[in-house]
Amino acid sequence: MRFAEFTPFDLVLLAQGLGVTIGLFLVTSLIGLLVGVLWGVVRFYRVPILMQLVTFVSEILKNSPVLVQLFLVFFGFPAFFHLNVTPVQAAIVTLSANTAAFVYVIAVSSIESIGRDQIEAARVFGLSRWQVLRLVIAPQAAAFSIGPLTALLVNQLQVTSLISVIGVMDLAKIGATLNLRTLKPFVVWTAVGILYYLTAKLVATLGARLERRLRAHSAFRCL
Amino acid sequence: MRLDLTILVPHLGFLAEGALLTLEACVLALAGSVALGMLVAVARTSASKWANRLAFVYVDLFRNIPFIVQLFFFYYGLPEIGIYIDAFATGVVALSIAGGAYASDAIRAGILAIDNGILEAAEVSGLSRRVTFTHIVLPIALRTSVRPLGSVLINMILTSSVLSTITLNELTGNARIVASDTFRPFEVYVVLLVVYAALTYLVSLGITLLHRRLNRDLQGQVS
Amino acid sequence: MLKVENVKKAFGPATVLDGVDLTVNPGEVVSILGSSGSGKSTLIRCINGLEKLDAGRITVDDFDVSRPKELAEARKRSGTVFQLFNLYPHLTALHNITLAPIEVLKRSRAEAEAEGRALLASVGMGDRADAYPAQLSGGQRQRVGICRALAMKPRYLLLDEVTSALDPEMTAEVLAILARLAASGTTMVFVTHEIEFARQISHRIVFLEKGVLLVDLPTKQFFSADGGLAQPRVAQFLSKMRKD
Ligand SMILES: Nc1ncnc2c1ncn2[C@@H]1O[C@H](COP(=O)(O)OP(=O)(O)O)[C@@H](O)[C@H]1O
Ligand SMILES: [Mg+2]
Repeated sequence: MRFAEFTPFDLVLLAQGLGVTIGLFLVTSLIGLLVGVLWGVVRFYRVPILMQLVTFVSEILKNSPVLVQLFLVFFGFPAFFHLNVTPVQAAIVTLSANTAAFVYVIAVSSIESIGRDQIEAARVFGLSRWQVLRLVIAPQAAAFSIGPLTALLVNQLQVTSLISVIGVMDLAKIGATLNLRTLKPFVVWTAVGILYYLTAKLVATLGARLERRLRAHSAFRCL
Repeated sequence: MRLDLTILVPHLGFLAEGALLTLEACVLALAGSVALGMLVAVARTSASKWANRLAFVYVDLFRNIPFIVQLFFFYYGLPEIGIYIDAFATGVVALSIAGGAYASDAIRAGILAIDNGILEAAEVSGLSRRVTFTHIVLPIALRTSVRPLGSVLINMILTSSVLSTITLNELTGNARIVASDTFRPFEVYVVLLVVYAALTYLVSLGITLLHRRLNRDLQGQVS
Repeated sequence: MLKVENVKKAFGPATVLDGVDLTVNPGEVVSILGSSGSGKSTLIRCINGLEKLDAGRITVDDFDVSRPKELAEARKRSGTVFQLFNLYPHLTALHNITLAPIEVLKRSRAEAEAEGRALLASVGMGDRADAYPAQLSGGQRQRVGICRALAMKPRYLLLDEVTSALDPEMTAEVLAILARLAASGTTMVFVTHEIEFARQISHRIVFLEKGVLLVDLPTKQFFSADGGLAQPRVAQFLSKMRKD
């Protein structure tokens, strides 16, 4: 590609990149939330073996670089399992699993914050473990964990930028492309940075709003 | 589909070199982060509105923009303004600036937690603001923020894997070379995950010990 | 001479000191009594410059604490001992004592440490010089606090309820040291609830009530029926304190 000035079309490219980033962020956050909560339930029921496995996997995922996890899935899995893995598939698998690991931690700590005694008390009233989970724990845990979850998601949004390294055409990758073509790194990376910043602020704002609403709701019920 | 880790044996020395470079970069960047974090923490606890605002903007920006975008901003941008430093120096600078945004929070919390009576004792005994800061405020704040600063270091070790994208041959960079030389990416990256997890585990162990040692004298202080 | 002249101080709408006058001559021990909330701590904090005056004047050997240029000199002449010790938690007992002499008075480290050790020995803590505050009992901490103030060789020692965070045994330890200081001619402004002790060591006793200095009398007269006790508030206060 020849070096060239910016064109109006570059804005479309940036918008596309932003779309890919946000899309993958939403999809992997949703999957991560579901899987992470599921792991939390495994822990709540103290399912043998599965519980230890979940803890181990989540520890590894939390304590290793996401970039290496991406490489493992994108380069390692095809070589070892003789699979075809596209960059987007690798991105979805890795980011979801990574989010799940952190959601799991939040789920466990919010269940613990509700306290064994409250759970015991509910059991004394003859509620089944599932009823306790659904009626007593889930609503409180949800309100308790919105704050940490928001912080997590703001962080995971930034983590999505790593998928550009394996070739997903997200916002960071579009930035790299424009950077190479225009040779105007300050302009390009500032623009990309601002877009990420604004998106992060949007996520944080939505999280705060949701938290306020949930708080008001549970306060109302306490009355 | 057999997991054969022996193929890595000839490359262990090379990987160890990478690990050493990772640690070097992280230790330097930790020093940079703490230095920067102290400055910013002071600015944020100072009375000057301007210093306050500036420090807040810095922390907010660098926490909400992906590290890879920051890194490329410096890596491609610095030569534009006539600053030619190698990938290692660029990486350390970028890690320091990103880490500083987190370190400042830890140190600021440490400063704010200092009992006001202690500062009054320093004031009435005639100690200058500078001496009070260097001999009393900072040592106490650094002690109480050993743990959060440790988390900054651990995050830094994980984040430093991104430096492989600017051709720095730290641990992940070297692993990528080994993976493509041996055609065994799965083995390489599985081992890499475990190595990073072990590394961060060791660091967190060290931090716990350091915290205990440094705060041994502070324990049991009546309020 | 330490002079407090018509000092007024308010926090928001609440007037805490309302025209206080007090003079402390070198060599004098002056105790300040008064119920809690009467403004005793605020008065001490005005003298050592931790609070700004709203009106009036405080001078320590003619250095005006309200003038930024003179405050440093005024502070060099007074030393403060705090109710909650306020020791530097990251420094040993010895270094708590030597920090200000080294940094403010520019004494050499060796000299400051020798004096610090001597001070610690004089309060029976010669063997605890290298202990950190957290490793000391409350009484020991307060003894270090007294040494820290004395290390600056102040002309006036300000003490604000220095034993009220201590149990009776530790209180006795600390009071014994203060009695010795008083006997050796140290000038002290002594805020306390230890009435009997104040009676033994003070030359004068002043009584603060709602920010007003109601009584300022030599100790003997303060406790006599036609002196301090003639004031109903003082009599009430003393009988209440004796009951507790
Ligand atoms: N920093 C402050 N802000 C507001 N009110 C204060 C402050 N310091 C003291 N006060 C108030 O001033 C009054 C006198 O306090 P203080 O001097 O501590 O009394 P004492 O030491 O005699 O118990 C009290 O009512 C107290 O609540
Ligand atoms: Mg008081």
